[in-house]
Amino acid sequence: MASLITCPHCGVRPKEEFAIRGDASLLRPAPTASDEAWHDYVYVRANPRGRTLEHWQHVGGCRRFLVVERDTFTHEVHSVTDGAAFARENGR
Amino acid sequence: MIRDYYNRHALDEKLRGAPRPPSANHLAIGHRQAVAMALAMAGEEEAVEKLLSSTTEFAVRFSAPGEWLVVSENDTPEGLQRRLDALCSARVYIVDQSEARVLFRLSGPSTRRILAKGIGLDLHPTAFAVGTSANAFCGHIAVNLARTGEDAFELIAPRSFAESLFDDLMTMGREYDLTAAFAA
Repeated sequence: MASLITCPHCGVRPKEEFAIRGDASLLRPAPTASDEAWHDYVYVRANPRGRTLEHWQHVGGCRRFLVVERDTFTHEVHSVTDGAAFARENGR
Repeated sequence: MIRDYYNRHALDEKLRGAPRPPSANHLAIGHRQAVAMALAMAGEEEAVEKLLSSTTEFAVRFSAPGEWLVVSENDTPEGLQRRLDALCSARVYIVDQSEARVLFRLSGPSTRRILAKGIGLDLHPTAFAVGTSANAFCGHIAVNLARTGEDAFELIAPRSFAESLFDDLMTMGREYDLTAAFAA
């Protein structure tokens, strides 16, 4: 796993300061969506080999939610963005 | 039994007895200082940061975007609250933390080596300059770490973790003959 994360607010930090809060690429379905869509959103996860988007919370620092793009195979960290900025950029 | 926690410092029990004369590496425990948390209202982050850093009456410690710890040596907790209200009321939420946080001041030539045993941050002056501050873990305890001088650091920890952090720091500094006492 990636061992150093560059938090946009706190700088380079060890991974022990963070809590991984799951897949960040999922989009919440509409409240009226089918049970299948909600089941997929809540329970079904892929286990990808390669680039993933994840929510990491910096619990030992600024306590902000970050979106970390990392590679599960090479352990490379491609980008770290603040969760709010990521949501704005992606129109969520 | 009724205990008056308000008038009792969290480290009274640890620092009981005659203090050793301070050695080169010394841990001073602050008391009688006022600490407050300032939380900027939505959209006011930059204005509040500018206002807070415009005065020299207190020190401002960064903890998160739009959130700071304000430390004052001279003010009472109420005085600091009034001062902050006057400075930037209606832009910021102020929460008094004077009794909730304990201040540790570590100074001496080996401070960086001592802190390296518990803090996973690069503390070289080029990476963590004088005046910088950040939240970090010291061991497993969340602290706010600030560099107040070339060889001087200040740690602000929650009161309930103060005894553990004190023990940790003394263990970390044992090899460098770290001494501890309440600040004068």
